[in-house]
Amino acid sequence: MADSSAPKPSSSVKLVLLGEAAVGKSSLVLRFVNDDFQPNKEPTIGAAFLTQKCQLPTRTIKFEIWDTAGQERFASLAPMYYRNAQAALVVYDITKESSLVKAKHWVAELQRQASPGIVIALVGNKLDLCEDDEEAAEEESSGASATAAADDEEGEESEAAAESTENNDEGNNSTARKVSLKEAKSYADEENLLFFETSAKSGHNVGEVFTAIANAIPETSLKGRNAGAAAGAGTQAALTGANENSRVNLNAASGDGGPKEGCAC
Amino acid sequence: MFLQNLVQKAQQFIDPAVLPGPLGNSSNGRPSKAQLFRHQFRLPDSQSPLYEITAELTLPTKKSGNDAKSPSKNWDKSNWDRDRGTHHVGQLHLSEQFLCFSTVQTSFVSTASASASAGFTGRTHGTGPAGNGFTLPLCAVRRVERLHTQSYVFALSITTWNGYDAGTETKPGAPAPPKLTIQLEGSRQQCERFCDGLKRGLRQGIKEVENMRTVAQDCYSEYFLYDEFDAVPATEKADGTARAPPDTGLGTVFKYPGNSRKLRDRSKMRLWHEYLKEHGRNTTLVRQPDFHRLIRVGLPNLLRGEIWELTSGSFYLRLQKPKLYQDTLDKFQGQGSLAIDEIEKDLNRSLPEYAGFQSEEGIGRLRRVLTAYSWTNEEVGYCQAMNIVVAALLIYLSESQAFYVLSILCDRLLPGYYSTTMYGTLLDQRVFESLVEKTMPIIWDHLVKNDVQLSVVSLPWFLSLYINSMPLIFAFRVLDVFFLEGPKVLFQIGLAILRINGEELLDATDDGTFISVLKSYFARLGESAHPKSENPKHRAITNFQALMVVAFKEFDGITQHTISEQRSKHKSAVLESIESFAKRTSIRNLGPESKKLSTNDLGFLYDRFYVVLYERQQRMEMIQAEIDRKAKLAKQRASEIVTGLPTNTPEMGRLALGASQTQMDYDAFREFLAGVAKWAVTDSPSSPMKDFSGGNYFTNTLRNRPINTSPWGNGPEPAEHEFLQRLFKKWDIDGNGALSLQNVVYGLAPIKGNRDIMSSISYFFELYDDDGDGKVDREGVLRISEALLFLSRRGLTGSVSHGPEDIDKVLPSKDEQFLGAVSSFIRRCFEYAEPDKTEVDNAADGVDLLDLGEKDETGHAETDDQSEHPKSPSPSSAGESSILARPSTNTFGQTKSRVVSANAALDPASPVHITLPTFRMLVLADETLESFFDSGFANSFHLADAPLPSNIVTSPAYLGLSHAPPTSGSGLSIPGPIGPTPVGIASGGVVGPGKGLRGVLDNIVTDGMRVAAEVRRRMDEAQRELDRGASTRGTEDDEDDDGEEQAVDLLEGAEANAGATPAKTPAKPSMLLDTPVVGGPRIESNGKARAGSDVEKSTMFER
Ligand SMILES: Nc1nc2c(ncn2[C@@H]2O[C@H](COP(=O)(O)OP(=O)(O)OP(=O)(O)O)[C@@H](O)[C@H]2O)c(=O)[nH]1
Ligand SMILES: [Mg+2]
Repeated sequence: MADSSAPKPSSSVKLVLLGEAAVGKSSLVLRFVNDDFQPNKEPTIGAAFLTQKCQLPTRTIKFEIWDTAGQERFASLAPMYYRNAQAALVVYDITKESSLVKAKHWVAELQRQASPGIVIALVGNKLDLCEDDEEAAEEESSGASATAAADDEEGEESEAAAESTENNDEGNNSTARKVSLKEAKSYADEENLLFFETSAKSGHNVGEVFTAIANAIPETSLKGRNAGAAAGAGTQAALTGANENSRVNLNAASGDGGPKEGCAC
Repeated sequence: MFLQNLVQKAQQFIDPAVLPGPLGNSSNGRPSKAQLFRHQFRLPDSQSPLYEITAELTLPTKKSGNDAKSPSKNWDKSNWDRDRGTHHVGQLHLSEQFLCFSTVQTSFVSTASASASAGFTGRTHGTGPAGNGFTLPLCAVRRVERLHTQSYVFALSITTWNGYDAGTETKPGAPAPPKLTIQLEGSRQQCERFCDGLKRGLRQGIKEVENMRTVAQDCYSEYFLYDEFDAVPATEKADGTARAPPDTGLGTVFKYPGNSRKLRDRSKMRLWHEYLKEHGRNTTLVRQPDFHRLIRVGLPNLLRGEIWELTSGSFYLRLQKPKLYQDTLDKFQGQGSLAIDEIEKDLNRSLPEYAGFQSEEGIGRLRRVLTAYSWTNEEVGYCQAMNIVVAALLIYLSESQAFYVLSILCDRLLPGYYSTTMYGTLLDQRVFESLVEKTMPIIWDHLVKNDVQLSVVSLPWFLSLYINSMPLIFAFRVLDVFFLEGPKVLFQIGLAILRINGEELLDATDDGTFISVLKSYFARLGESAHPKSENPKHRAITNFQALMVVAFKEFDGITQHTISEQRSKHKSAVLESIESFAKRTSIRNLGPESKKLSTNDLGFLYDRFYVVLYERQQRMEMIQAEIDRKAKLAKQRASEIVTGLPTNTPEMGRLALGASQTQMDYDAFREFLAGVAKWAVTDSPSSPMKDFSGGNYFTNTLRNRPINTSPWGNGPEPAEHEFLQRLFKKWDIDGNGALSLQNVVYGLAPIKGNRDIMSSISYFFELYDDDGDGKVDREGVLRISEALLFLSRRGLTGSVSHGPEDIDKVLPSKDEQFLGAVSSFIRRCFEYAEPDKTEVDNAADGVDLLDLGEKDETGHAETDDQSEHPKSPSPSSAGESSILARPSTNTFGQTKSRVVSANAALDPASPVHITLPTFRMLVLADETLESFFDSGFANSFHLADAPLPSNIVTSPAYLGLSHAPPTSGSGLSIPGPIGPTPVGIASGGVVGPGKGLRGVLDNIVTDGMRVAAEVRRRMDEAQRELDRGASTRGTEDDEDDDGEEQAVDLLEGAEANAGATPAKTPAKPSMLLDTPVVGGPRIESNGKARAGSDVEKSTMFER
């Protein structure tokens, strides 16, 4: 909205959020769209749809966000939502090992089934829960890497591996963190994913994720359907735009603060 | 006004004949008659329609006062109704535990036409699925009298249970439920039969009276009426204990949602008070038109739970199993499950805006209800959205009541919604879309054009019953009607929402706008629908009221029947898409080892795996159904038999419906293999057995597991062989006696994937290295040899570069070659075997080898053999080809008695073994074996790239086997060294498992034949049973036929009457909506009216 006067090219991007139940998908979206956090957020039923704009130096990206339900059995609904998605946020909970396994499944699913060239970001959420042991984690790398190494050996997708490490974790639950930065990062690198650790609660890194995605969307894929919609639908598009803006701005106006540097909305 | 119209219209349309299509047929997934019956009257699954008869129900009218309750002596049909009370013509039905009446002319007897059974599912309009009438548990009947009237009239007077003291002239007691007078219309014989059935049921019902009393105590109506009418102070029960209101949900503590003044809660209570007083409560409630109207205008807080229980039928479930909830909780106390983990995640995320769910109390109730249900239905377990629904229920219901309502929701009202694949949800979304397309083509086209996904908005509506879409107070009003009228209500409301917002939606060109239009509409539901209207009455109509009117008036054509029809139309497509998704995901998540196999092969294995499980389950179901059928036939006449299996049966186990099985037991594994490998098919499919002596080898194995006599479906009958058992054990890495898909894939991956002779040799070796010490003993060597012959007996296509298709054309010489190779393999094994240093104990050796022996019988068989075929030629001459020519004779047993060789390895006293390197060397030394391990073995598993023809030849390609003339035995020359199996010597006369290669093969044949014979015998038996059953049924049907014909006649006569009924009701002010006109409580019709005191009558039943 800051640059609403500037006639920057604007295009919309369909983004889908996937990940295990209760990892904080809806919370991330709520933080991004309303800069708000609700500790007792109802689980998403099916999917929720929200929009938010993201200003880049050269263009405006309007995210059409599809926030999906995380429970395993809702997985069969997912194709309905990631259809035509240009970007995906695959979220896991850094305090829960199994959520990374699930995230890997989603990445694999997207790589095979979603539109080719989809930009995928892997996001480890609930960083705030690990703040205390964050310093420890830094030096702990010796201890943590042992777990990570073990995992790597057993193969990325082996559920058995996940379970065994989960058991290990039960022993040393002195630290809330159950997925090491290193492990997730190396997986993300391997699969060519954007990678962030975030906290929907504190807002840490949330804006960055979306900005990074916006930047990663290739210029070419921004044409097609979105350009058509913006240009072709005339009054209707305008009306739509107005609605969106009023809704979004209302909420965003209140607490547009630190976390969203990159995303000037 | 709206409601008035609705009711009028409703009554015009009670016409079952408008419903096309067969509904009673379960083979296409449609409900059986028994199911329709249960659905209509909301009865538990244990009930079936036993008897039915056309009848006229007479209820005392309000105004008629006391004398109306005493049928006069000279009562007759023509003056009865006109004078005294409301009467309804309808059908009276009797099930095991219930007496039901409905003005909707439905029939559930076997001969009834489909539309007659499905009648209630038609246009329900204002009258609800059951029409006017009652669902009366027989245990609530206190007394049934037969009124002696004029010749042909057969009338019953039913006095129901009353929880209160009757009271006296001066101290009025609580109101008694109405006395029901029912006039049966049918032949004398029909009436008698019905009454006999009724008497039986009533006697049974006595056992449940106590249950009923306790269950009814949880109903607010008991407290509600007692409170005002009983002479005893309301705060005390008869026994002096304090009378406390029953638990009516968290609302009593944390407030019910909404402003009760605005909701006119008091007026509604007064109306209900009157209704309950007049028409009975909980068990004895009689549904009259007012009942439906009172529900449409929204239930009052305190009675909401009770009426939900009654209209959904969960009350009857609770009545049957009142302890189920508590027992389930107790039984699983402290146990964990996946569902419980999932529930915990969501406890704090359920209606967080309601204060009760910020409290430990509320969360605790929610936890217990969800947990208990997850245990009673582990297939559903827990699904997100259930937390929201249950949280909502708990505002009005006690924990235990909510539990039963949840059961009804998941099992009956929302089938498949919360299942692991959520097929019900997906299916209903598809149905909803097609209804939108049909009823609002313009909106539909707009959605399609703009690529807006309707289900994104509508899926949560259905899944959470509008609870998290609409403000709570309105969602509850939808629920009120939903429980009464069934799932179609969700569709009607959904369509109405779109219709009302049609214009705005047509302006929306993307999902975002579409969603925000609807969001803002929901937020305005409480506002006036016509804010600018001059007419204050119009202004008073809220958006929600308008929504209800559109839903039930404009979309009254959407009936349960429409929904079922659409469901069956879209079902297969939905299931297929779920299955293909599940397949993709499951294959992708099989783990790294699976990458050794091609995606095609994995897909093939996936299909084969689940097809086998699915088909087996089907067969089991059928067998079970057959058993049940017989049991039922023996016991009683049940219409379910006529209509076939219970609905879901034909699809049980189908993956998209939440396959209950994902593990393969040993038999399933055999069946699985028979579809991928020729050698796993038995040599002697279902042909009768003549000779049992040969089966010895197997009787032992058969005895060790439950004998499975089920036929193998259409597929080839699998073989049984020790090799299969070993393979199964190896693949079963978790050691739980069953294989998952992953186990199968991981088992096959090294065989099919490695394609490297060395690993294939060690794979095989390990199969036989039982203790994993890298050695295989003498016994093991023999078994390996047997296995090699077993595997090669149909030829091995892989070793030669033949295509897989020419199974039949495999040259016999190849097989001879193979036999020769195996023979020399055995010989060499013993040549190169190393003495077993660690084990010197002969006895132990002997014991080792006994494990599979079948002593006595085998001994006999063996002697016979010996007498027929005295001697084998010298051991050294490896005459391979002749083995082939002498199929059924050669055994190790016969040669064992000869002392053959000086080779120490053959000395039974000195145990020996071969090691992997030895084994490898021996294999590599033989071209044929080398080729077998190089590719033959791997290729014998036919996956996607070279599947087996579906109708694989079941007689062995290897012809010599069972047909060769025994005379050619002269050429018999099994290599000598095999002969002296130590067992025989060690345990005199006992033939060990090493009885012989050919013996094994022969036994496979004979055993297979024996099993086949057994199967045939059982099938014949089943057929006979079936025929017998059919004939019994036939007679019963005949008997019914004449009864039925009359019933139909009557039914047609009654229809005219049904058309007349609305005339009596339209005047009823329907404006409860606007002006709750409430009369003061009337003080008639309490229990004092002793009906029939002066009527000549006989008591049929009394307690
Ligand atoms: N401490 C902490 N809690 C979080 C964070 N993000 C989410 N949560 C909490 O985690 C729970 C689940 O959050 P949701 O955003 O509803 O999770 P979801 O992934 O959308 O869950 P589903 O809709 O069920 O798939 C809520 O109780 C949140 O308050 C975070 O960054 N830090
Ligand atoms: Mg969510």
